[in-house]
Amino acid sequence: MSKKIKAKVGLPDDPKIVELEIADRELPVWDLDYKPSLVGKDIPRMDGQDKVLGRAKYTYDVGPQDLPGLLYGKILRSVYPHARVESIDASKALALPGVKAVITLDKGEGFNAEQLLSVMSEDPNRPPAGRTVLFQGEEIAAVAAESEEIAEDALKLFEVKYRRLPFVVDHEEAMRPSAPRVHKGETTNLAGGKPEVKEQGNVAQAFKDPDLVIYEGTFRTPVVLHNCLETHGCVAKWEGDKLKVWASTQGVFGFRDDLAKIFNIPAHNVQVMTEHMGGGFGSKFGAMQYGPLAVALAKKSGRPVKLMYDRHEENLASGNRPSATMHIKIAAKKDGTLHAIDFQSYGTAGVGTGAGTSGPIWMTYKCPNVRTEEGDVFTNAGFGMPFRAPGFPQGSFALDQAMDELAGMLNLDPLDFRRKNFVGQPYLPLEIMYKLGAEKIGWNQRNARAGAGTGLVKRGIGMATGVWGNYGEPPAQAMVRIHPDGTIEAVIGTQDIGTGTRTIVGVIAAEELGVPLETVKVNIGDTTSGLTSPASGGSMTLTSIGPAVRQAAFDAKQKLFKLAAPALKTQPEELESRDGKIFVKSNPARSLPWARVAAKMGTTPIAGHGEREQNLKGYDQPAWAVQFVDVSVDTETGLVKVNKVVSVAESGRVIDRLTFESQVNGGTIMGLSYGLLERRTMDRLEGRVMNPNLEDYKILGPQEMPEIEAVIIDDVTPYNSLGSKGLGEPPVVPTAAALANAVANALGVRLFELPLTPDHVLDALTAQKEG
Amino acid sequence: MDKPKKRPKGSSGISRRHFLRSVGVSGGMLGPSVLGAAALVGGTTGKSPNDAPTLGPGAVPVKLNINGKEFRVEVEPRVTLLDAMRERMGLTGAKRVCDRGECGACTVLVEGRPVYACMMLAVDAQGKKIATIEGLASGLKLDPLQTAFIKHDALQCGFCTPGFLMALKGLLLKNPHPSREEVRLAISGNVCRCGTYPKIFAAVSEVSKA
Repeated sequence: MSKKIKAKVGLPDDPKIVELEIADRELPVWDLDYKPSLVGKDIPRMDGQDKVLGRAKYTYDVGPQDLPGLLYGKILRSVYPHARVESIDASKALALPGVKAVITLDKGEGFNAEQLLSVMSEDPNRPPAGRTVLFQGEEIAAVAAESEEIAEDALKLFEVKYRRLPFVVDHEEAMRPSAPRVHKGETTNLAGGKPEVKEQGNVAQAFKDPDLVIYEGTFRTPVVLHNCLETHGCVAKWEGDKLKVWASTQGVFGFRDDLAKIFNIPAHNVQVMTEHMGGGFGSKFGAMQYGPLAVALAKKSGRPVKLMYDRHEENLASGNRPSATMHIKIAAKKDGTLHAIDFQSYGTAGVGTGAGTSGPIWMTYKCPNVRTEEGDVFTNAGFGMPFRAPGFPQGSFALDQAMDELAGMLNLDPLDFRRKNFVGQPYLPLEIMYKLGAEKIGWNQRNARAGAGTGLVKRGIGMATGVWGNYGEPPAQAMVRIHPDGTIEAVIGTQDIGTGTRTIVGVIAAEELGVPLETVKVNIGDTTSGLTSPASGGSMTLTSIGPAVRQAAFDAKQKLFKLAAPALKTQPEELESRDGKIFVKSNPARSLPWARVAAKMGTTPIAGHGEREQNLKGYDQPAWAVQFVDVSVDTETGLVKVNKVVSVAESGRVIDRLTFESQVNGGTIMGLSYGLLERRTMDRLEGRVMNPNLEDYKILGPQEMPEIEAVIIDDVTPYNSLGSKGLGEPPVVPTAAALANAVANALGVRLFELPLTPDHVLDALTAQKEG
Repeated sequence: MDKPKKRPKGSSGISRRHFLRSVGVSGGMLGPSVLGAAALVGGTTGKSPNDAPTLGPGAVPVKLNINGKEFRVEVEPRVTLLDAMRERMGLTGAKRVCDRGECGACTVLVEGRPVYACMMLAVDAQGKKIATIEGLASGLKLDPLQTAFIKHDALQCGFCTPGFLMALKGLLLKNPHPSREEVRLAISGNVCRCGTYPKIFAAVSEVSKA
């Protein structure tokens, strides 16, 4: 059932030979001694050509030329943050020529997908039951029409009677006992009525220690919005009792299962496809609201329906990163070892939950006494959705700034302070990451005393440590087919959200099979394959599906070797495959070209199956991202200009160096945008989002781009057979903290609230002058 | 329709006096004559705005020259060039992201100049040479920008890619060897959420050195 292997793992400059016990079907990890032919190189994306040609088809691109008779769906949304919808008169909308279906949601509280079934056979002019909407932008009704213009006109013809109710949109206000309740029947806006508390050691006792240096501070981060370029949406088509859906989603199987449940049909009667997708970042899990509404409109009209959000509703009702008010009290002994951390965090995910931020407190540094308390505060605003490393950029913003403050109080270099508090791990890459990052940013040029620079523009350097777990795991399945013409087809269920999943699947299959990448085609993002795989999230796609692909390729290869062995007058175990040739290991001159062997299989392709095995116990190590930021702050305008970021990433074995670097860049840039620019702003008086568009919700653009140097650590973990960890999320974790530490180093005063916009900078400088 | 006069550089095509006059004439509401194609495309013709043809409100025939081919569609005058291309002509390369001229994902070239297709009505795009991403390559031969984008991985999800490529093509047509600052300015109207900017700069740098 299991076998023992030896492997050389860890850091290339400090390898460790370990003995591992792995499952029988599992392949030995690609360890530090493994010399790949393809893996780890700069490999251009397999869908790069389609994308630059404008040929890549996204959900948004499906149109009447693909589906004759296609209707366009639009959603009517609440204009008020909290209201009883007393009546919805859809008669004028229905009467508009070109309108083919109308659905009104007039029962219950909040969006209720299940009620859609009951709506389909009812007369939309029936007396309404009455419904409560809980945030500006919540769904009230939907319409499908011959063109988008007609659908938009139809929305204006609905007559809705609202009875406005008291509301609250700020999480600190929502925590007051006098605040209006968001959810009916709750006595408090705190989800569950009490915070979630975790403790290690005894924090109250620990703080009594007389020999401590203590820092205490409150940090605030705002709600921010994913703003994927492709909005949420899908195209739904019924074919008898079967359902076909093109969806912009990070999880085709989750989407399918939601629809199957809501519409009471077997999951195998639902096909969900995502061939290309314009970004998700965590906001596109499950069928959400657009799935059921599009499907219901399609059922009611008897025609396919395309329902894509516009940018306005995308910014109201498709997810967000919750806000946080974080209070941290952190203590170290005089020798610089951390002794206690007390962390309280409250934030809002609107009408939903997900505002926790304590992850970094537990995972980043070693500390014997830790207590975290976190709570979700309901507000009448759009629901939160996971957003690239949920909770971690927030927690890191508080933690790593507190660490810098404490370093100052201890008279220690911030890097030296962190060095004294490394977590225990079989091998830890942080020392080399700190060394490389410090070298490349010019750490020795940093202000020894914060704010030391003279002149109107002050320069500073700061750093922060980011961490994220290695979450890949079963179940995940893959199939690799070898065709009689020698070409290979790798099939997985999972989609590619832009990270390059398609390409790394091809690379892993090609590497294991020993063939050029050009002979491999990858089929992804279709539930018909039936090959279960995780949604694209948690930075677990590569590490879940990759080992399954490798196993499937190995399985197919073994079957091919059985064909080749007689022709090479040897046993299958004696064969190996590399560079498109199958050869005898002990005598490589005895070989056959891959295609020649494949031709022997007749007309039936060889199919190899792969399953993701369990992770290796004892080697669960997180991925690390360390960033160093160099800024210049104009003390007259308050503008923070980022000169350079050194972004050091450690995520185990690199499968494709090009796409790896792109993820490092991507996370870092998103972190900079979060640190410098982004904030969803609510109008407290009206309970509405003030900046639901791309001109007032600022996303980092080419004008703000600093120099970014990505530094890759080529280590290997034995946790799975690739030797890899996830990468999508770690690089977004420490950026805002590193940025804030750089600004504090430049100015000699700290900013406690994101984003680090000129108003915040000038407020801090004014307070510094007056204080 | 009269042959459109050349618009003075930097003007929107409607003089302030013209605009206010027509508002006064139609009693404070923007009449269809102000939004008529001639008024926007031709600038001041010297005639009264009420002489401009009225289009719509139903669908009208529109003739568009895109990538050297002629397309004929019927759309309401309020339909943008972008939506006409995407929903009526099967040209889905240019993407709709913000629909209000803020992100550049719909960038096409109109007479060689980068334009947000969501900010131009289909009726106003008539009589102009329009180039989209679908016409950037010549058959199977990729434009050097496209090749460089693939090589440097200047794309991730790819949704912003057609917009960036057309904006850069517009730049290189005018200025084949731009400085980094000139590149930065040329793409300052394009947004990417995945964070491809460093690789876009690398790709353009390679193409513009050649």
